[in-house]
Amino acid sequence: MGRAIVITSGKGGVGKTTTTANLGTALAQLGHSVVLVDADIGLRNLDVVMGLENRIVYHVVDAIRGKCSIQKALIKDRRMDNLWLLPASQTDDKDAVTPDDMRSLIFELKATHDFVLIDCPAGIEQGFKNAIAGADEAVVVATPEVSSIRDADRVVGLLAAADVPARLIVNRISANLVRRGDMLSQSDVIEILALEMLGAIPLDDQVIATTNKGVPAVLEGKSVAAKEFIRIAKRLAGHEVEPEAVGFFTRLGRALGLSATPA
Amino acid sequence: MWTGIKNLFSGKSSRDVAKGRLHLVLAHDRSGLEGGRLQEMRAEIAAVIAKYVPIDAEAVEIQIETRSRSTQLTVSSSIQPRNV
Ligand SMILES: Nc1ncnc2c1ncn2[C@@H]1O[C@H](COP(=O)(O)OP(=O)(O)O)[C@@H](O)[C@H]1O
Ligand SMILES: [Mg+2]
Repeated sequence: MGRAIVITSGKGGVGKTTTTANLGTALAQLGHSVVLVDADIGLRNLDVVMGLENRIVYHVVDAIRGKCSIQKALIKDRRMDNLWLLPASQTDDKDAVTPDDMRSLIFELKATHDFVLIDCPAGIEQGFKNAIAGADEAVVVATPEVSSIRDADRVVGLLAAADVPARLIVNRISANLVRRGDMLSQSDVIEILALEMLGAIPLDDQVIATTNKGVPAVLEGKSVAAKEFIRIAKRLAGHEVEPEAVGFFTRLGRALGLSATPA
Repeated sequence: MWTGIKNLFSGKSSRDVAKGRLHLVLAHDRSGLEGGRLQEMRAEIAAVIAKYVPIDAEAVEIQIETRSRSTQLTVSSSIQPRNV
């Protein structure tokens, strides 16, 4: 039985869809079988962020209404093994599905996949309730800004009330701005929200550039944001993750010939 | 270091201001108490205290603050010395 993780935030435009696409890709690259569910019904985006928009035949509402089987609505990402997308419907609205519909859909997907990542719409209304209904856990995405953190706090409260454990990703951090005293740091955000932290994604031009092409940053590999997404994916999957500092000292040790492993 | 010097001249950094504002906003959000209602409560509490001890009702302070998911309401007032 797989795990269903909802990616949510309250506020729009903070990086939910970007995070869903990149964590899903990274988990698939680690060898897990992953399905991405776009729960933003009426405003679908995950398909274009993944670059799979030209392959949609059926969508999540078709699958729920039995117009096709769930497996038939899944689009296989051909760039790697193990990754599928269940697109949202663009013509229905959020009331087209109920939390019960979502719960049984996600339950079925968990039977065939290791990870079901659910891209939540902005807001805390029906779309949010649908998106969290089938989730075992949540990743809350917040940017280091007052409005985003305020909305995240609301969502954390609602998730707690629904018994969905939540962890935090801080997105679009700029080390320069933090150093200048003009941006909240990741530890400020953790202190305020009192949530376990999965990681912090830097503000990175590469995210915008790769998204333009319909390629998750993780697939292009080299950017700082991609590396952090990969670290977070490993942490989510329960792999040991080397903290940055250890990597540095290991490299330093190796350079000084102190390493136990032969060069 | 530079940030330290800059803040010495220009007051708090925008980062510190954001933090302070968030602590307040979240305290209000979590308690469901709007800022204006809090001030009404302050005035009522000040009136009650003034019935028992001499105070400057304007100087009664009320604070609602949140640290790591718990929210604290503090009312503070200094009592005026009695002129014997
Ligand atoms: N770490 C980042 N660095 C730079 N741009 C980012 C980053 N994360 C997200 N973005 C950009 O911010 C915008 C909003 O992101 P998106 O994932 O669509 O947010 P949401 O799904 O929460 O509405 C997109 O244009 C995306 O490319
Ligand atoms: Mg989105």
